[in-house]
Amino acid sequence: MSSLWRHLKATPAMFRVSLADTVAYRAELAIWVLTATLPLVMLALWETIAAGAPIAGMTKIEVSRYFAAALIVRQLTGAWIVWEMNFEIRNGSLSAKLLKPLHPIWVWAVWTVSAMPFRMIVLTPLLALLAWARPELLTLPAAPDLALFAVSVTLALALAFLVQTAFGSLAFFMDRSIGMFSLWFGLWSFLSGYIAPTAFFPSWAQNILYYLPFRATLSIPVEILSGRLHGGLAWQEIGIQCVWVCVFGIIARTLWNTGVARYEAFGS
Amino acid sequence: MIRILSALIRASLMVSFQYRSDLFFEAATGILRCFSAIAPLWLAFQHTTAIAGWTPPQAMLVMSLFLLFHALQGGLFEPNLGEVVQLIRQGNLDLWLIKPADAQLLVSLRRIDPSYLWDFGVSILMAGVCIAQIGPISALDAALAALLAVNGVLAMYGLWMLAICTSFYFVRVDNLRYLLTTAADAGRWPASVFSTGIRWALTAGVPILLVTSTPAEALRGQWTWTTVAGSLGIGLAFVGLARVAWMRSLASYTSASS
Repeated sequence: MSSLWRHLKATPAMFRVSLADTVAYRAELAIWVLTATLPLVMLALWETIAAGAPIAGMTKIEVSRYFAAALIVRQLTGAWIVWEMNFEIRNGSLSAKLLKPLHPIWVWAVWTVSAMPFRMIVLTPLLALLAWARPELLTLPAAPDLALFAVSVTLALALAFLVQTAFGSLAFFMDRSIGMFSLWFGLWSFLSGYIAPTAFFPSWAQNILYYLPFRATLSIPVEILSGRLHGGLAWQEIGIQCVWVCVFGIIARTLWNTGVARYEAFGS
Repeated sequence: MIRILSALIRASLMVSFQYRSDLFFEAATGILRCFSAIAPLWLAFQHTTAIAGWTPPQAMLVMSLFLLFHALQGGLFEPNLGEVVQLIRQGNLDLWLIKPADAQLLVSLRRIDPSYLWDFGVSILMAGVCIAQIGPISALDAALAALLAVNGVLAMYGLWMLAICTSFYFVRVDNLRYLLTTAADAGRWPASVFSTGIRWALTAGVPILLVTSTPAEALRGQWTWTTVAGSLGIGLAFVGLARVAWMRSLASYTSASS
């Protein structure tokens, strides 16, 4: 209990430090954000195809709205700690972090969340441009759906963070942890709804994808935000998100604990 | 110069093959990377017979050219030019400057990342299959396509070099190359998917379309002397600018050790 209280008490100060750190390297973050504009490229591609006839029941405007929502969700669920973890584990700077009375993963979590306001600021010009050129693409869902979206996008961020923590912890055991993560990322980008709505897949594939963790990090909140997923069906998918958050929570925790126990970096 | 070039390539291949144990893992990554690049195209053609006028083999050719460039970018540009940023910051660039050969050539071809050799092989194979499926191609079209592809790669090299030169003046530009790779990612789709503005940006700004769509169009016989001359002009401009920027940056470089 005292450990939990210690972490919570330190969080506001950590948040301020992380925020200052993010602002100090703002040019770097701006580049990260720009690299996440891929949904706009996919929007152009699928719009061209949907211009002729609806794809899998989605009209051109629905396809475009989907990718406009994907642009936003991608930013809100951005976690990039796998590189940071890999770097700190390998060069030994993790040792200093382990000495502190705060759990390193908590420090990274606060760091991830504190980047959000800034990500939003950088996203604003992109959204403004979109609102000016294609105002019909940015529509807000009704209040109940908006609440669902808030829950779903939070779970998606948590899952993205935990997946990266798990892959980051692999650096304790092997040199190739970043390579493993790129493999995951390759699969993820195709199966999560990032480059195509999962509705475009053959139905047998959709049935499998429904239960896999990929959709839970992106396409569920995207579909809620773009008004394709409502009420009970949305709650079902949020349930799946919860399950995956727990599963990856356990995996990440196990890998981290085993890893730290055998950690032998420089200076430890 | 040719002698230096071949020596450099031989040395970098020798260095990279020291780590053979990773070969299996890298083969798996490379093949999966190519697969995940083709997958969206496969999905798109489940729903249509042509993307903005491009049939499956034609669109696939654009994709293979993109993968070919991607392999060059990952296997050659990234390990060499990306490293220059580090060399400048740590002062090790001095060691390369005192060698009796052109420094730009040396820093551009020091190393080859062997993990991308797989991508390179697979994408060449893919391009071959696509070209065979497109049907008979006139010798002029084929020659022009090859010339334009080389020109496109040189243009992208010039852009990379320009980006690297900024690291002589600013400290944190590592991420500039992520920006370049991401912008280049748009090149995997046929140019006509994009609006005119974006198409211009991807031709004259980040000239990735010169590597992918332009040669593919030439191969289909869809070229005019204006587009060919324009493409070559842009390619020359990038390489020329990069050379000037490199010489200027070196002239103002104060080195870490002197």
